[in-house]
Formats: sequence, C-alpha cells, structure tokens
Amino acid sequence: MKRLILVITVIAIMAIFVGSAYAHHSFAATYFEDKVAKVEGKVVQFLFRNPHSFLIIEGKDESGTVQSWTIEWGGAGQLTGQGVSANALKAGDIVVVTGDLSRNQEDHRLRMKTIVRPSDGFKWGGQPNQVVE
Amino acid sequence: MKMFKGALILISVLLAVATVPGQNVAPLPAGIDISGSYFPPRHQDVGLGTAAGMLVDYGGIPINEAARIYALTWPANRMTVREQQCMGYVPPYMYIAPGNYRLWQDRDPFTQRLRAIKSYASVAEGERTIWLDDRPHPPANAEHTFPGFATGKFEGDILTVQTTHMKRGWIRANGVPQSDQAELVEWFIRHGDRLTHFSVVTDPVYLAEPMSKSFVLQRSVKDPIGWLYACDDADQILTRNDENVPQFLYGQNPYVREYADKYKIPLIGALGGPETMYPEFAAKMKAATDAEAMAKILPASDTPKAAVVRDPTPNDGEIHTLQVRDNIYLLTGDGANIAVQIGPQGALLVDTGTGKLADKVVEAVKKLTDLPIQFVMNTSFYPDHTGGNLKVHLAGADLTLYGGNFGGGAMPRAATIIAHQNVQTRMDGTPTEGWPADTYLSGRRRKFFNQEGIDMFYMPNAITDGDSIVHFRKADVIVTGDIFTTTRYPFFDVKSGGSLKGELQALNYILGKTLYEHDEDGGTLIIPGHGYITNEFEVSEYRNMLVIVRDRVQGMINKGATLEQVKAARVTADYDDRYGANTGPWTTDMFIEAVYTSLKQAKN
Repeated sequence: MKRLILVITVIAIMAIFVGSAYAHHSFAATYFEDKVAKVEGKVVQFLFRNPHSFLIIEGKDESGTVQSWTIEWGGAGQLTGQGVSANALKAGDIVVVTGDLSRNQEDHRLRMKTIVRPSDGFKWGGQPNQVVE
Repeated sequence: MKMFKGALILISVLLAVATVPGQNVAPLPAGIDISGSYFPPRHQDVGLGTAAGMLVDYGGIPINEAARIYALTWPANRMTVREQQCMGYVPPYMYIAPGNYRLWQDRDPFTQRLRAIKSYASVAEGERTIWLDDRPHPPANAEHTFPGFATGKFEGDILTVQTTHMKRGWIRANGVPQSDQAELVEWFIRHGDRLTHFSVVTDPVYLAEPMSKSFVLQRSVKDPIGWLYACDDADQILTRNDENVPQFLYGQNPYVREYADKYKIPLIGALGGPETMYPEFAAKMKAATDAEAMAKILPASDTPKAAVVRDPTPNDGEIHTLQVRDNIYLLTGDGANIAVQIGPQGALLVDTGTGKLADKVVEAVKKLTDLPIQFVMNTSFYPDHTGGNLKVHLAGADLTLYGGNFGGGAMPRAATIIAHQNVQTRMDGTPTEGWPADTYLSGRRRKFFNQEGIDMFYMPNAITDGDSIVHFRKADVIVTGDIFTTTRYPFFDVKSGGSLKGELQALNYILGKTLYEHDEDGGTLIIPGHGYITNEFEVSEYRNMLVIVRDRVQGMINKGATLEQVKAARVTADYDDRYGANTGPWTTDMFIEAVYTSLKQAKN
C-alpha cells in the first residue's frame, strides 16, 4: 500500500512538472488536451534548442493535402535526459508523430506526444518505459 | 552621562539616515537579509503560472473592458509571432513561474553599504535591481524593460519596492495583459526559510482597480542547477508572413465558455472585472443572466475613449538630454524626438524639433561636444521634425564643404541637412536655408561619420512619401521618425503620400533590422518619433495592433459595413485607453477612417 501511494505521488509530481515544462506560453491555451492527431511525414528541420525544440515535417492532413507541420517538443535539456540528441533526426527521415492538436488548426501544429522512425525503430514517448506503438 | 549617551545615539542615527544621492552614501538599511536561492513550493496557483492558464479564466482579476476584449481576441498562437516567442515576464507575474529564483545583495566595495538588492528569475532570465540608495526613477521617456526600474527601502523587516518603466506583459498568460503604464508596489517579508511576496499593481490602461496578489518562495538548501533560460526565436509557422497576426475577431472566440462550462460556473464569473474580487459577487453571479455575461464580450459603448496615458515628452520650455547608448543621446522638449550622435568629428542630429526651442537645442548639443554640428538628417517633412532646421543649420558647420575639395573657403559655415528628396519638395513655402540640400532618391543614403556607419533607409509611402529611418550601426540604435511612436495610433497621412500598406511595410522593415539581447529586452534600441526609448518588442506590439485593427476593419468591410458602422463597432476598444484620442491632430476616428479608406481603395 505504501509503495502504491509512493508511486501515485511520484506520478502526480511528474505530471505537474511535465505539464509545466518551463514554457513561455500556456499549453492548455495553445493545444487541445483531448484531441490527438497522427501524422506521417518527411523531416524538413529538427531544431534542437531550449526552451523548446521544434520538428517540422511535411505530411498529409485529413483531406490528403500535404502540409508543413510544426511539432513542439521538449527543450534540449529535457530531451537529452530522455535519450534524444541533437542529431537524432535529420532532414529526409520518415517519421510517424502523434501530438496534441493546436487549437488553431490552420497552423498545422502539434505538441509532441510520441514519435517513431520506422526505418530503424527510433522511438520516443516522453515518459520512462512508455510503450510507443 | 545618560543625556550624553542619548545625544550620541541621536547623532549616530542622524548620520546614518543622512543621504547624498548618487554618491553611494545611502542610509544603512535596517532590514533583514533575504539573500539566497528560492523556488516556488507550487502549492498556490499551480494552474496559473507562466506555462499554464486556461482560456477565458479571468475571474477575480479587476480587469477593465479594454483588457477583457484584448484577452478575448487573443489566441495563444499569437505567441508564435517571432517577437512574441521569447517575451520576458514582468513583475509580479514573473514570480509565479516555475524554476529557480535568487536574491542577493549589492554592496559598495569601499563602504560595504547596501546599494541594492538584486533578484533573478531563471525562467526568461528576468534580473531586477532594487536600488536602495534613494536614486530617483528615470524620466518618463527612458527605456522600458520587462523587469522595470525598481527602488526599495526597508520598513522594519519588510522590504518595500516601487517599480515603474515595465513593458507590456501579462497579468496572466492566458491573454490578460498588464500595460507598459503599470506601476507596482511590492513587499518582501521573510519568515525563516520562506519569503512572502505581496504586490499591488496599478494599471490605468487595463485594470479598473488595483490588483493585489501574494505568493510564497521557499529557500533552497542547495544551490539549484538550471539558472539559464536560453530562448531564440524560430520559424514556427512556415506558412505565415509578417503581416499575419493571429486574433479572434470580436465575438468569434470559440472558447469563451470552455472554462466556465468545465468548472460549472456562470460565464459572468469567468469574465472578470473588479466586482469579481468581492464576496458579494457570489450572490450576484448566481442571479446573473447569460445575456448579461455575453454583453461583456463586446464594447459597451460606441463612443471611443481617450487615452489615459501621458505623453512622456516634458513640455516645460526646456530641452532635456538623455543618454540612449554610448555616443547616442535623446533631446526632448520641443516636439518630435531629436537624436544626437557625437564623436571626434562633431555632432549629427536626426530631426530638429518644432524650432521654438532651437536655440536651446543648439545649447544642449554644445554641452555634449565642443565640436560643430556637421549634419542633420530629417525623417520626414513634418514641422515638428524640421522646424528647427534653419537655426541648427546656421549654428553648425559641415567641414567637408567649408574648405574642402579644391577650395570653397568662401562658403558659409553651416550644417548640411540630409533627407529624401520628397522632404525638400514638401517643405516648399518654408525658408529655403532650412531645407535639406543633400537629398537622395533611391532606397538608401549611407554615411560614415564619427567612426560609425550610419544608414538612412527610405520608407516609401509610410507616414508620407518621404520618410526615412536612421540606423546607427555601431551603437545599434534606430531612429524611426513617426513611423513608430509610443504615444498615438499609427499615423499615415494619406494626403501626403502615406498609406496603411506602406506603414506596415516600414514597421516590418524596422523589425527586420532589430534583434534582442535576451527574452525581448536589450539589443537594438529604438528612438521613436514621439515617446520613450524602446526596443523591438514595442515595435512588434505596435505592428501587431495595426494588423489586428486592419483585419477587424477588413472583416466588417467584407460584410458591407459603412465607415460609420465600423466606427460604432469600436474596433480599437482594447487599445483606446493606451493610444486613443478624441481631440488633437490624430484622433481615433481619424485613424479608423484612414484604415477604412486605405482598405476600400485597395479593394477598388
């Protein structure tokens, strides 16, 4: 029981800090927290920096039109701690991304939840031991 | 003996409180030491910090109508605009961020007297200096920064701080603004390892009543890691150009009810206002109808409001000199701002004011340098920028003409005035000696003077058809003329060749030349045509405002609205308290009419 309480407490604390992420803006105001989109596309740019990294990919929207998608990711410091380096992705890589959808859909913007590169099995899911499909 | 001791104590106290401002001999502050590293315990306002805040959650904030409309039309993706991405935080909101804080003492190395207390917030690298040496706050036309300018004193064990000169920031980062006119009083109180901070913000632009707020910082046992907060902007939305500033048009925010519905409170409670701070509002909220709430999301009146903001220009019959950076100075007091560059060759002025105080302008320059005024650059033909041309011209001496290039010894000694040719053309009717004699027609007039590169760029059809900006490259200071001011709505004189399109292009051109040092503070400094010294953040806010108003007017034109209908809709309601005018040479109605006319002409 004590162990369960400890685990719940740790998860709660992690949720607070993952949720805040030291951003310049409110994630709750920027993204839908209950709408997740999945995009497969080609990497155009991977900007590995603080306070946020950005991944830009070209992929199709729901109508089949190719769009430039901007995916907001953790800061360089956070990602390094999670095993993602500055050269983890390069232009031309084909990736599958899921993320919270922007409230302004014409921006084609996501907040990264998971990423998979099928060619070599590179995966990231944000949380320790998270299974990325 | 007792009397002697008493007298000794009295003398000691009097000596201790004796103050000689500017000589670092401030009284010995008797307060407690609040130095140390701190972190927020996160037991308060967890959902309201810098990385949080739901849309349309304004309850308990004494916002006025202008702030509510600003927030309701603000989508979070406005933060993807380049100059918004790394904007810093103003106090007191800066203390509600996650991350680490540090407070330390700044002592005079020779007397060990406490000069200032410094405060550093890791998020956005917000560093404040709280001066304790009785120095005055800077003049109204001095630069604004996110941390602002702060002075403090100990009252018992409490540190009381007064802050002015902040930038436009956040009351809450869900769109509720704090204006650049806000002033702040804070009290820092230490209880063991806890530091209580209590603050009261007074904001004539966006708050109907002062807003009070408290929070607690917990002292760190160990020095925390992670003090830096690097932030460089990026191309976040590739398909967006510089003339696209995200907004919700009036009444079209799709998330108005999201917070109220989620927490099952009446909408009127989420819309904020001074009444929502008081206990009796609970009963009123229950009785309020939805129509009463919805009436709050649009301007209540169709009559424009005049700004509550005072022009920072001192109009006391004197010329005031303020150092901008290095060898660049600002002279104010006679109409438009005058910039002065000094160096081993002499002085170069950008604009000359109305001319009423031209003699005092010349005297003010003489106090900066014994060398002559060699050049004047005019940013436009307007009399408040060129009125002093004649006297300044005659008081100066362009030594490259006098005695240069095969003689010319008989040439009268006078400064050379440089401007776009259309300035000279539009000065017809004024004394010719005050005209710019050295004009340019193409996009750029460059000059190397006082060991510095100076670029004069033509801004076609902005305010008029002859506007220029001047960039001092070494000091990295840009003089914008009236293309940018901090005192009124963007002015474009359609009759003199100005246009909405040209004004927007000019503002974006300036933003293409600027950079910031960190988190939208520092970097390239801007001397506006009128108003206080700024940097790119204020220019971008000004550009954003023009785009936002343009898009609102365009939206109404698309629906067939007449000019009178556009005026009645109060499309500038969130900015009138800052820039509006009902009298004078550039009223809110004139601004809206110019926008409307420009858009109609473009359509036709």
